Amino acid sequence: MSQLRNIAVAGHGVEAWIVAAGLRRAFRARPLDVRVVATPAQPARIGRWTLPSQRGMHSLLGVNESTLLAQTGATFKLATEHFGWQGEGSRWLHAHGDIGAEMAGTPFYKFLLNELLAGRRQAPESFSLAGTAATLGKFARPMGEGRALTAGFTYGFHLDEAGYSRFLRAHALGLGATETSAPLRDVRVGENGCITGLVLADGAEITADYYVDCSGAAASLMSRVTGDDREDWSAWLPCDRMWSATAPALDDPPALTRTFAGSAGWRWRAPLAAGSLVGHVFASRFEDEAVARAELQAFEPRAGEPVLTSFSAGRRRRFWAGNCVAVGESSVALEPLAGAELHLAQLGLARFLELFPLDRASTIEADEYNRVMAEHADALRDFTLAHYRVATVPGAFWDAVRSKDPPARLAERLDLYGAGGRINLHDHETFEETDWAWLLLGGGRTPDSLELQIRLQIEKFSAQEIGALRDHVKQLAASMPRHLDFVRRVQK
Amino acid sequence: MPGPLRIVIVGGGTAGWMTAAALVSVFGPAHRQVRLIESSEIGIVGVGEATLPHIRFFNRRIGIDERELMAKTQATFKLGIEFVDWARRGDSYIHPFGAYGSRLAGVPFHHYWLRQREAGDPTPIEEYSLPIMASRANKFALPAEDPSSVLSTFGYAFQFDASLYARYLRGFSEARGVQRTDGRIVDVKLRAADGWVESVKLDSGEVVTGDLFIDCSGFRGLLIEQALKTGYDEWTKWLPCDRAMAVPCENSGPLTPYTRATAREAGWQWRIPLQHRTGNGYVYSSHFISDDEAASRLLERLDGQKLADPRPLRFTAGRRRKTWNRNVVAIGLSGGFLEPLESTSIYLIQIAITTLIDYLAPASGPSTDAGRFDPRIVDAFNRWIEMEYDRVRDFLILHYHATERDDAPIWNYCRTMPIPDSLAHKMELFRTRGHVVTYKDGLFLEPSWLAVYLGQRVMPRGHDARADLPHGTDIGTHLTRVRDSIQDALARMPMHEDFLQMYCPATLP
Repeated sequence: MSQLRNIAVAGHGVEAWIVAAGLRRAFRARPLDVRVVATPAQPARIGRWTLPSQRGMHSLLGVNESTLLAQTGATFKLATEHFGWQGEGSRWLHAHGDIGAEMAGTPFYKFLLNELLAGRRQAPESFSLAGTAATLGKFARPMGEGRALTAGFTYGFHLDEAGYSRFLRAHALGLGATETSAPLRDVRVGENGCITGLVLADGAEITADYYVDCSGAAASLMSRVTGDDREDWSAWLPCDRMWSATAPALDDPPALTRTFAGSAGWRWRAPLAAGSLVGHVFASRFEDEAVARAELQAFEPRAGEPVLTSFSAGRRRRFWAGNCVAVGESSVALEPLAGAELHLAQLGLARFLELFPLDRASTIEADEYNRVMAEHADALRDFTLAHYRVATVPGAFWDAVRSKDPPARLAERLDLYGAGGRINLHDHETFEETDWAWLLLGGGRTPDSLELQIRLQIEKFSAQEIGALRDHVKQLAASMPRHLDFVRRVQK
Repeated sequence: MPGPLRIVIVGGGTAGWMTAAALVSVFGPAHRQVRLIESSEIGIVGVGEATLPHIRFFNRRIGIDERELMAKTQATFKLGIEFVDWARRGDSYIHPFGAYGSRLAGVPFHHYWLRQREAGDPTPIEEYSLPIMASRANKFALPAEDPSSVLSTFGYAFQFDASLYARYLRGFSEARGVQRTDGRIVDVKLRAADGWVESVKLDSGEVVTGDLFIDCSGFRGLLIEQALKTGYDEWTKWLPCDRAMAVPCENSGPLTPYTRATAREAGWQWRIPLQHRTGNGYVYSSHFISDDEAASRLLERLDGQKLADPRPLRFTAGRRRKTWNRNVVAIGLSGGFLEPLESTSIYLIQIAITTLIDYLAPASGPSTDAGRFDPRIVDAFNRWIEMEYDRVRDFLILHYHATERDDAPIWNYCRTMPIPDSLAHKMELFRTRGHVVTYKDGLFLEPSWLAVYLGQRVMPRGHDARADLPHGTDIGTHLTRVRDSIQDALARMPMHEDFLQMYCPATLP
């Protein structure tokens, strides 16, 4: 039996409530006291988009998806659509689903690579149900199992931050988490580097066996334990600011997030059931805040008052030190391009549950957690950075991003792909081979060659089968409901 | 299109013929020309008569019929490896090819077993593994496809005669177009421009040119080391055994569906049952025992009459610095050596072959330069093979290090030696809380680590906190049900010997 009896979660938003609910639900059989201590709200996010793993998070927390949609106005996300990253008029899609279906034991994207080598470019989404449905503005949940096309995709969400946070708070409190009487004022740290207590604004002091830091970029707890012991990624990912705002709803919005490459970063738009979210992510080194704000205004003149968020790409060297665990944005700062911020919080929670300390003195859990979370975080950084590596936008900002050598693992991956079209993955990666194929194909990267054994398999593909696949995808996508019709039906 | 890739394999034996068979099967004649040079004067080492379940993927990929292969190589089935006397004298555990129980609420099964054990339930974990129970009863059946059946919870491998295996693969390869040349290599010519291998010269005077050379020449590494001076990373400080004595003997007793590895005074002894005989060997460290004494100890401990004189082997545990260097790929003992404690020799050959096949990407456009290999691909290949070796290495060291034995110098050395940090970290996590570090690629999954930790008496002090389910959840009943389903399945399984007779009785070569 674990000796731990109480845990304090410091934070103010979505991440804190996810962690509080997750802890209570995983250990509902034991008397584990989970208290949430509010930390000062930083310039808030307006909203966010998530990876499909958020579905798993919801089931881990016992969240009913229909209730969530009804109460928060969230929508579905089948894909991200990137405009202008390969120059004026360019567009590519990263859908949360298979590209085609395996033939002769060979992933279908290899066929598209082979076509590319022969000088024929085909859009991956015309072979992907999620991609085609997203493009047509359609949505349905995956169905069936195995190799059925309807089982070969998944989806994430577009979420309004305040609504989602309220919803998760109610859920966590329903699971038995509690809130302290007042927000955090100070952190007491003992000589051994362990937190000994939290002082609240009303003067009360609380202690816990373990402390989870979900306070976002401020890292209110962890910064007191390990200081500013961070790895800086800003040379690779120079974007450090985001203006974001709400805007009126688009007519019939598709189930996808859109990004638009700009001169010193990128703008985005995400649909909600009754409105939309827009933002502009940029590097302050290359663009003035006021100019960036005006750019957002020009992008969406009907946008409301924008809020500015600051961050600096990087991660903590230690995610877990002593009796303090930094989960989510308190440990990793990454621009939202891949939509992986909540995924990181989820991984942090899942790994903490898996390695939940059996006693307060043990340190091996922290070592393992730090090893694994660093790999996860670095892999997400690489996937985010890869968007920039395949971009061909001119300008000082883009030149700067491209001129910096990528981290070794990403360089190796791009090299291997560049030489023979092969995509190798490591342990603890979020994005799979197909995700990389979406990105590399979409980004227009043509390998110099393709694996011989794959070429031999592709020779066995029949043109008829490929045509049938394309038709089948089109028919299935056409038969799906409009995205918002589906959302409204679920909300009822 | 470029012309076919001219591939020259230097050396027969298990590695050479496995490589030849795979290359001719996967690539058609338009893409390759495979030539194998071996000398009938030089005997083969015949490493690894015991295999791992992965070999079945290899067979399937290159189109080898399993029953035919088994019949022609005197093969038996293998469900795991029994380790005797490793942590303490008198101990026995089996490392099975299959899982213990199944995950419950996302938590690995063994945490529930640990929890029950803390509560006083003495049931050994063996009883939750069908392949272990079948091994103990000398039974065998093919696994089932239906994932809900307990018969789907295991895999199997083969134990076969390595010389017959090489002979079988030779027939298979020659029938598909491999050109075999009997000859000894007397000279290797490197291209002046870049130091790549241009040709090898045979004792007949013939000069054989090629685009890609596969070095299957054994420990000496005729091309990879003698010609290219690639270098070798030694791991002797962790894996001190450097010699072996091998001897076959007559069968006695029931035919076991598993290999046995018994810890000895200066190493360990293998026992591999085949249909017609039993293979035996003593793997030892020359620091701790003389060759003569090793031979006589081995002979004293045979189950049946010896069928030949003991044959000595020498090796150094470690890995070639680059498995693929310029246009030479080292496969088999030329690429590295890890003692056969976990039957990994053939696996490491297989993984080098399939990785090579998977990575080869000759230019697809019009080009005559088929013999150019993109360094980006070569580097990725080498990193992959390195990862495979390193993961096997840690797993092997665990067997030696996690022992309580203090009755012989070798065990005192291994018990107290410093181990790689990666392994120390894994062991500490298991000891603290039964947590098994898992990885995506490479050999040995969670059940393997679990079997060896527990078998070597690395006992966890705690278990995953999530396995403490709400009161009223009856874990005990769940565990009993797993045991019962295994007993039911076991009762219906035939004896290993009977199954072999029905499935693949040996045909005389």
